[in-house]
Amino acid sequence: MGRITLDQVTKSFGEVNVIPPLDLTIEDGEFVVFVGPSGCGKSTLLRLIAGLEDVSSGQIRIDGEDATDKRPADRGLAMVFQSYALYPHMSVRKNIAFPMKMAGVPEDEQKRRIDGAAAALNLTDYLDRRPGQLSGGQRQRVAIGRAIVREPQAFLFDEPLSNLDAALRVGMRLEISELHKRLATTMIYVTHDQVEAMTMADKIVVLRAGYIEQVGTPLELYRTPRNRFVAGFIGSPRMNFIEGETAAAKGAFAVGVRPEHIAASTESGTWQGKVGVAEHLGSDTFLHVHDTGLADVLTVRVDGELPVRHGDRIFLTPEEDKIHRFDAEGHRL
Amino acid sequence: MARAVTNRRKAVTTLAAWLIGIAIFFPILWIIVLSFKTEGEAIKAPLEVLGSPWTLESYATVQERSNYLLHFTNSVIISVGSTVLGLIIAIPAAWAMAFVPGRRTKDVLMWMLSTKMLPPVGVLVPIYLIFRDFGLLDTRFGLTVVLTLINLPIIIWMLYTYFREIPGEILEAARMDGASLRNEILYVLTPMAVPGIASTLLLNIILAWNEAFWTLNLTAAKAAPLTAFIASYSSPEGLFYAKLSAASTMAIAPILVMGWFSQKQLVRGLTFGAVK
Amino acid sequence: MATQHSRAAARLMISPAVLLLLGWMLIPLAMTIYFSFLRYNLLMPGMEEFTGWTNYRFFLTDPAFKAALINTLLLVGGVLLITSVGGVLLALLLDQPFWGQGVVRIMVIAPFFVMPTVSALVWKNMFMNPVNGLFGHFAQSLGLAPFDFLSQAPLASIIGIVSWQWLPFATLILLTALQSLDQEQLEAAEMDGAGPLSRFFYIMLPHLARAITVVILIQTIFLLSIFAEIFVTTSGGPGTASTNLTFLIFLETPAALRRGHGLGRGRGRDHPGQHRRDLPDADDRQEPGRVRMTRGAANRPQIRSARADRTGAPPAAAHASGGRIWRKMKVGEE
Ligand SMILES: Nc1ncnc2c1ncn2[C@@H]1O[C@H](COP(=O)(O)OP(=O)(O)OP(=O)(O)O)[C@@H](O)[C@H]1O
Ligand SMILES: [Mg+2]
Repeated sequence: MGRITLDQVTKSFGEVNVIPPLDLTIEDGEFVVFVGPSGCGKSTLLRLIAGLEDVSSGQIRIDGEDATDKRPADRGLAMVFQSYALYPHMSVRKNIAFPMKMAGVPEDEQKRRIDGAAAALNLTDYLDRRPGQLSGGQRQRVAIGRAIVREPQAFLFDEPLSNLDAALRVGMRLEISELHKRLATTMIYVTHDQVEAMTMADKIVVLRAGYIEQVGTPLELYRTPRNRFVAGFIGSPRMNFIEGETAAAKGAFAVGVRPEHIAASTESGTWQGKVGVAEHLGSDTFLHVHDTGLADVLTVRVDGELPVRHGDRIFLTPEEDKIHRFDAEGHRL
Repeated sequence: MARAVTNRRKAVTTLAAWLIGIAIFFPILWIIVLSFKTEGEAIKAPLEVLGSPWTLESYATVQERSNYLLHFTNSVIISVGSTVLGLIIAIPAAWAMAFVPGRRTKDVLMWMLSTKMLPPVGVLVPIYLIFRDFGLLDTRFGLTVVLTLINLPIIIWMLYTYFREIPGEILEAARMDGASLRNEILYVLTPMAVPGIASTLLLNIILAWNEAFWTLNLTAAKAAPLTAFIASYSSPEGLFYAKLSAASTMAIAPILVMGWFSQKQLVRGLTFGAVK
Repeated sequence: MATQHSRAAARLMISPAVLLLLGWMLIPLAMTIYFSFLRYNLLMPGMEEFTGWTNYRFFLTDPAFKAALINTLLLVGGVLLITSVGGVLLALLLDQPFWGQGVVRIMVIAPFFVMPTVSALVWKNMFMNPVNGLFGHFAQSLGLAPFDFLSQAPLASIIGIVSWQWLPFATLILLTALQSLDQEQLEAAEMDGAGPLSRFFYIMLPHLARAITVVILIQTIFLLSIFAEIFVTTSGGPGTASTNLTFLIFLETPAALRRGHGLGRGRGRDHPGQHRRDLPDADDRQEPGRVRMTRGAANRPQIRSARADRTGAPPAAAHASGGRIWRKMKVGEE
């Protein structure tokens, strides 16, 4: 129903090569997240799939059928944009009805689907308002509603939550996840927020400069990042990297330890350093430890109650089996 | 964060602004005054003019002598017609330039505007000959076509600057939603651009209404708009101030009133490209 | 947002406009260039004869051409200068809080709506006429000799009239631009110790740059082809003192074309200042092919078209003037 295959797809804008040859398969019903730093080509990739940009070479297949030269409307995909892209001159109802009107869906069927979508998205009371009279979250829901009623083969989301405030973002995240569970339709979701990626995805695709660095489930990426880039990108706070003697002793160019895999103590440990800034989150505290002789700064996640102050001496002990080793090129050893 | 402005300062500004405003408006005010005077009174010194009796005589004379209604109708048909025709051609063009910009889009736009910089007289004779051969001289249709071409670059430029402010994502959403190009322009772009289109419409009606090269040169009588009507009072009637004033008032009043009522729209239209 | 489909669609969408404008530019241009190499008689087709560059030489070596070029530059430059500087100052004033902003705004915008023929006639007769004009009355009441604007300073007078028409345009655009300036920027500058003048030059003026560019661009387009204002007031005179390129070419177009077709309706000259003609009158062709253009011709009341009078159309005192190019062909015809 919604299996999407990219085969040696490339994209360049004039001289600039944004996507080098790239292969990727997205299985039917999967929730796939494209994640990567700004400018790495996530949106471009999504727009190639949507048909809003032409591929420079290669092939895109949807359900085994070549869709490379199909127009966006003929691909059976729905897209939710970062800016929502609602039609400002139409009421919420008309917005949601628009794709059906274009497809020539009969009136009563339109009404049924609109009511269904409105009920599912808590929009029933707002159907006659204009987008300008809605809050950001409501607008986002309208955009999703407009996508749902088309009953597409796959949904494409381009950073749909980045314009919302933190609390709303968490709520909408859950709603989209639930929607996916309910519809079981393929979803491709672009974000540069690795928390969104980790919490929502069945499969994460990490991109850097158009290259796929790694594809895998959230936990695979967390546990066995293929290289330093993925290791640093997935996980929050970032993994600590240590080069030099300590790494050499383990037969690597660099080793990486996540902040949550380092135990801190005021009395004894493998490494020692001075406490810099301590970020108290309540449940946890992130300590920035300086003067360890290992790296500029090591981040450590400690219990929220650990009584340390700025400038205190502190001892750190990494969990040996959670240490990641990388060679000089950054590949995992 | 408006700061408290002292009343004294405000009074000084008020005085200055009103003086300048009245000075700029004065010529128009003056022809309105003169149009209600007799010829004899109209050429007197200003203070005497104001003191003299008011009369509608000049309007009656002008009405008698010229077919104002015909020229007015011509002006309306020609200016509205050419603007609407221009919009129909310009909307798709501006869509293309704003939403599918190519490397040469800016150059094309500049080229279009530059066609307006050529002195129109350069092409007067050829256009005249073409018009003569096609029987278009002194026809409203012919003049409408010429004014469409004359104002097309400005219409395209104004629409382009307005369309550029419309996020392309919305049109892309329409495309994803299955809208054909025609539907995308008809149901999404055009309704969203109503303010911009309205301003463009207004400004171009004004420009076409006031256009005074082609309207003077390609019409004689039956298709002559108000610009030509007023030119007929140029001489020797020019010395008949009251009649000239009445005719002038009649020629400018329609557009002046329209302009005043649509002032806000108009200014917005003029400033799309000028103000971020 | 560019796919093959949309690019193809874009080409299709833009082509009517491009083709029309291209046609509008090229067809007449080609015809003009073709004619320009010909001894061509519009009234007697079939008598064309190739003349090479002769017509160009006549045109380009004509002292009137150089004068018209300079006048065009002065006219465009003068109006641009007055309207942009005046516009900025006026916008600064109108941007201050004062009583009756709405009304003043309406008064200031008004000249923009006035058609050029009207404003030229009104300025010429009601204001600049040395006998009955307001300025004349004013000078008299001060005991001064009235100044005949259109003959003493024709170009400057036209610059004044045109500036009056375009000042509202500049003012409104600049005012809107000024109002869009973020007040916090000004306050930040004030906090940084910038006085009013520095605030103007370092914050406001750069902010207005874009608006000023638009004002200049749009006005230039219209100012280059100023026609009606000259046509109605000075007819380019005295001599070539107020002839711009547009008007010069107009004068050079064949009278034969205009006569009887309503093309180029002439008007008489009633302005006292214009009696001092320093150019030979039209129809005495002393020098075949080198006859000066004929701005005085329209003086002859007897050629006023009766038809025009009847229909209420302009009393087309047919312009008996004819350009040298066309004059030449007439001579050839005889
Ligand atoms: N139309 C275009 N013309 C030229 N270059 C482009 C175009 N669109 C995108 N790019 C370039 O392609 C690269 C990838 O852009 P893209 O928008 O896909 O990044 P992204 O991963 O979505 O970033 P972000 O997280 O900031 O949205 C960028 O370097 C960008 O400059
Ligand atoms: Mg993006």
